[in-house]
Amino acid sequence: MAEVTYEDVTCCYPGSDTPSVAGLSLDVPDGEFMVLVGPSGSGKTTALRLLAGLEELTDGRIEIDGRDVSGVDARDRDIAMVFQNYALYPNKTVAENIGFALKMQGVDRAEREQRVREAASMLGLEELLNRKPRQLSGGQRQRVAMGRAIVRRPKAFLMDEPLSNLDAKLRVQTRVQIAELQRRLGTTTVYVTHDQGEAMTLGSRVAVLKDGTLQQCAPPRELYDDPVNAFVAGFIGLPQMNLIRLGLEDGHVRLGEERLEVPREIASDAADRGAKEIIVGIRPEHVTVADSAGGEGIAGEVLLVESLGADSYVHASLAGSDTSFVARTEGYDSREPGTNVRLRIDPSRIYGFDADTEERLGAGERSRSGSGAPSEHR
Amino acid sequence: MSATAAPAQRVATRRPRGAEEAKARRERWARRGPLLPALIFLIIVTQIPFVLTVFYSLFSWDLAKPGSPHWVGLSNYGAVFTDPVFFAAVLHTVEITFISVGIATLLGLGLAVLLDRAFVGRAIVRTLLISPFLILPTAAGLIWKTTLLDPTYGIVNWIIRIFGGTPVAFVTAQPMASVIATVVWQWTPFEMLILLAGLQSMPRDVLEAARVDGASALASFRELTLPHLRSYLELGILLGAIYVVNTFDAIYMVTQGGPGTETTNLPYYIYQRAFLGFEVGQSAALGVVTVVGTLIVASVALRVMFSIFIEDNTAKA
Amino acid sequence: MATVAATATRRRPRRRRGPGLRARLSSVAWATLAWFAGIVFFFPVLWMVITSFKPEAAAYTSNPKFDFSPTLSEYKQVFSAGMGPFLANSAIATVLSVLLVLALATPAAYALSLRPVGKWRDALFFFISTKMLPVVAAIVPIYLAVREVDMLDSIPTLIILYTAMNLPIAVWMMRSFFLEVPGEILEAARMDGADLRHELTEVVLPVVAPGLAATALICAIFAWNEFFFAVNLTSIRAATMPVFLVGFVSSEGLFWAKLAAAATIASVPVLIAGWVAQRQLVRGLSMGAIK
Repeated sequence: MAEVTYEDVTCCYPGSDTPSVAGLSLDVPDGEFMVLVGPSGSGKTTALRLLAGLEELTDGRIEIDGRDVSGVDARDRDIAMVFQNYALYPNKTVAENIGFALKMQGVDRAEREQRVREAASMLGLEELLNRKPRQLSGGQRQRVAMGRAIVRRPKAFLMDEPLSNLDAKLRVQTRVQIAELQRRLGTTTVYVTHDQGEAMTLGSRVAVLKDGTLQQCAPPRELYDDPVNAFVAGFIGLPQMNLIRLGLEDGHVRLGEERLEVPREIASDAADRGAKEIIVGIRPEHVTVADSAGGEGIAGEVLLVESLGADSYVHASLAGSDTSFVARTEGYDSREPGTNVRLRIDPSRIYGFDADTEERLGAGERSRSGSGAPSEHR
Repeated sequence: MSATAAPAQRVATRRPRGAEEAKARRERWARRGPLLPALIFLIIVTQIPFVLTVFYSLFSWDLAKPGSPHWVGLSNYGAVFTDPVFFAAVLHTVEITFISVGIATLLGLGLAVLLDRAFVGRAIVRTLLISPFLILPTAAGLIWKTTLLDPTYGIVNWIIRIFGGTPVAFVTAQPMASVIATVVWQWTPFEMLILLAGLQSMPRDVLEAARVDGASALASFRELTLPHLRSYLELGILLGAIYVVNTFDAIYMVTQGGPGTETTNLPYYIYQRAFLGFEVGQSAALGVVTVVGTLIVASVALRVMFSIFIEDNTAKA
Repeated sequence: MATVAATATRRRPRRRRGPGLRARLSSVAWATLAWFAGIVFFFPVLWMVITSFKPEAAAYTSNPKFDFSPTLSEYKQVFSAGMGPFLANSAIATVLSVLLVLALATPAAYALSLRPVGKWRDALFFFISTKMLPVVAAIVPIYLAVREVDMLDSIPTLIILYTAMNLPIAVWMMRSFFLEVPGEILEAARMDGADLRHELTEVVLPVVAPGLAATALICAIFAWNEFFFAVNLTSIRAATMPVFLVGFVSSEGLFWAKLAAAATIASVPVLIAGWVAQRQLVRGLSMGAIK
C-alpha cells in the first residue's frame, strides 16, 4: 500500500522525435484507484510501463512509497501487473502461476500454498488450480492474471487494459469484481483503458491523456461536468458531446436557422480573448426532440435513430447547415429517417471552448459540484 | 471438402447409396493422390535396395573371388555377431552420436542465447556462426586434420606450444576427440539455429510478467524459457542424431577409421567391408543388422519421447 | 479530492537519463562474448581461405605465418588440374535434384497437412524412418543395381539418389510451412469461388513461397556437400566437387595451400548461398514444426 508519484516524467523512444509521454506529473495517494484513459497513442500504456519499470525514463522521476524508483529494475519495485493478454506462464498450473512471485521471493511452500488458496477463493478459482492456461477460457485466464497480482500484497496494482479481451457481458461483470476487490484490499491501483465508460465507473480519479500529455485529472463527475478542454469534453461521455465551431456575435451563435444565446461567462471570456469564433458543446441529454408541429427549436431532419431500449439517440441534420446533432430521448423512439423535427437546447447547459486552443471558456465561474476548487490540469 | 482431419459433416440427403460411396471414394483418392508420387519414389529407391540387401545377406559373395555367389543362409549373420569389430563399431557410433549431439546442442543453446539479444554486429556474428554448417564436410575434415590438428604444423598445437605444453598428435593419439571435434564444429550451427527460433518464438509479455513478479534472469530462463524450448530441443536432437549417426565424411578424411579400428563407426565399417573388402554378403548382413537396430531404437525413441508424434497437429479449419 | 499540482515549486535539476552504467557494461560484455564465439567458430574457415592465398612455402610452416604475399598461383593450379567438369557436375546434380525434390515433396506435404490423408502419422513416420537408415547399409545393392542398368558414373543416378536422400526432410519442412497457412484465408478463397487448383496457386503457394525457398536451400546444401554416394558411384564423368577434393588430397597430399584453394572453391558456392539466404536458412531449420 503506497503512494505513487509521477514527477515531470518524459519518455522518448530512441529513434523517435516525439516523446510518447511528455512531462507527466501525477499524484496517486495511497489506496486510490487511478484510471489513465485516452485514445491509442496517448501514452497511457507507456506511462504504466514506466511505473512498472519495463520502460526507461528519459527525464523526470517516479516515486513509489516515497522512494525514487527511477533507476530500479521492475523486479525490485514490489508492484504487481495484470497484462492485457494476461501473460500467464504457459507451462505452469494455475496454482504455480499465482504462486510464482512468492516462490521468487523465497516464501516457504506452506505459506505459499495457503496464500494461493486465499487468492484463488477470492476469485472463484479453487476448482481450476491444477489446470494449465491453455485449458482455461478467456475469463478464467483473466482471473488467474488477477490472482497472480493480488496474492503478492504489493505496493501497487498496475493493470493494462485487463478487460479488453473479454466479451461485452463478461467485461461488465468483471469490472464490478475488480472494483469490489480493490475496495476490499485497499491497494493503490493504476489502471489503463481506452474505454471511457470503464474509466468513469472504476476510477476514484481519472487522468485523461492525449499525445503523451495529461489533459485533466479529476474525479469522474468533475470530468463530465467540468471538462477543461474540448478534447476531454468530447472524450468523456457516450454518445459524444455535440461539438461545433460557430461564429460568435454579440453573445449569440447561429445554430441551424436559429440564433442561440450563450451563457454570460462564455461570452465575456470570449470577448476578453477577442474571439470571433468559438466551439460550442452540448451533451445529447440536453437536447430535446419534438415533432415539427411543436414550433419552437431548431429545424432539423432525422438521419438515423439508434434505439437501445431504455433510451434512444436521434441523429438529425440541422436545416441550413451541414452539421448534425445527436439528441437523447427516452424510451423507444420510432421516428423514421427523413422526419422533420425540432431540436430544443437548454441554453444554460451550453459549453464553450476557445476555437484555437480548445480551452474551456468561462470555466471556474460555473460551480456544479459546489467544491469550487479547480481540477488538476495543464 | 473442409481442411480438417475429420470428414465434413454431411446433411442427410436422399441420394442413392452408390453415388455417396463413389463420392467418398473419390474424396479419399483426391487426398491420397498428391502423396503418392513422393511415396512411391521413396519406396522404390529405398525399399527395393533394402530388400536386395536382405537377399544378398543370405549369400556368400566376394566380388574379388571368381567363385559364384552361393547360398549360406544365415551364417553371415553369425559372422556379424561374433565380429568384435562390429561391436566396436556400434559402440563408436553410439559414442560419437551421443557426445557430438550433446555438445553441439549445449553449445548451440549457449550461442542461441547470445544471439537472442541485440548487440552491435549481431547479423555478422550470426553469419560467421553458421559457416561451419555450410562448408563441405569433406573440406571440413581436411581442414581439421591438416591445418588445425597436425602435430607439427597445426594451429591447435601452435597454441599449445605458446602456452608451454607439449604438442599432441591428435589424430593418432586422440582420434575419437578429433572426430568428435570436427562433427561438433559442423553441427553446432544447426542446433543453434533451431534453438534460436525457439527463443525468438517466446512471447515477450510472459517474460515481462516474470520480471515484474521478481524473477531474476536466471530463474526466468530456468522456469519459463527452458520448458518452452523443449519441443525445439527434441527436434534438434532428433534431426542431429539422424545425421550424425550416419557420419562418414569426417571419419573418412580425418582418421580413416583408425588408428586400427579405434574410430570406425558402423557406416564406415560397412563401407570398408563392401568397397575395400569387396565382401558383398557380409557387408549386406552388416547393413541389415544396422538397419533393424536403428529402426528399433528409433521407433521407441520417437513414440515415447517426442511429442510431435503424439500430439495431433494437422491443420484446423 | 482534486489536488493542486505543486510541480512548479519542486524543480529538481534536470538530468538526461540514458541506460545506466551497469546496463552499458553488460551490453559490452555480451557483445564481446558473442563476437569471440563467432570468431572462434569461424576461424577454421578463415584459416582455410587465408591458406589458399599463400604461396606453398608459407602454408606448410610449423608456426602459422600471418604475413605473406597473397597469390593466386595455387588457385590457378587447382583450376588447371581440371576442376571445371567437377564443378559442372555438382551444379547439375544439385539443381536438378532440388527441383525434383520440391516437385515431389510439395504435394506430399500438402497431403499430410492441409487436406490430410487418414493415416498421415504413419506416412510421416515412414518418411522419417527412411532417413534414419544408414545409407551405407544399402550401398552394396545400390551399387550392384546401378551397375546392372549401366548407370554407374552418371549424373541421373546421383540426381535420383539425392532426391531420395532429401525427400523426407523436404516433406517434413514443407508440411510445417503448410501448417502455418491460416485456415481463414483458405476459407475466404473458397467463398470467393476458387477451385482447388486456384486455391493452391493463388493463395497457398504465395504464402509458403519463403518456405519453399528455405527447403530448397537446405536440400541444396545437403546435395552439394554429399560425398558418400558420389565417391562410390562415380569416377570420371559424373564425379562431383567433394570427389575432386578428395582426389586432390591423394595426389597433392602435402601441398596445403593448394588443398586449401581446392577446399575453398568447393565450399564457396554453398557458403555464399547460405550467407545470402540466411533468413531462409533460419526459417528452414526452425520449420515452425513446433506448435
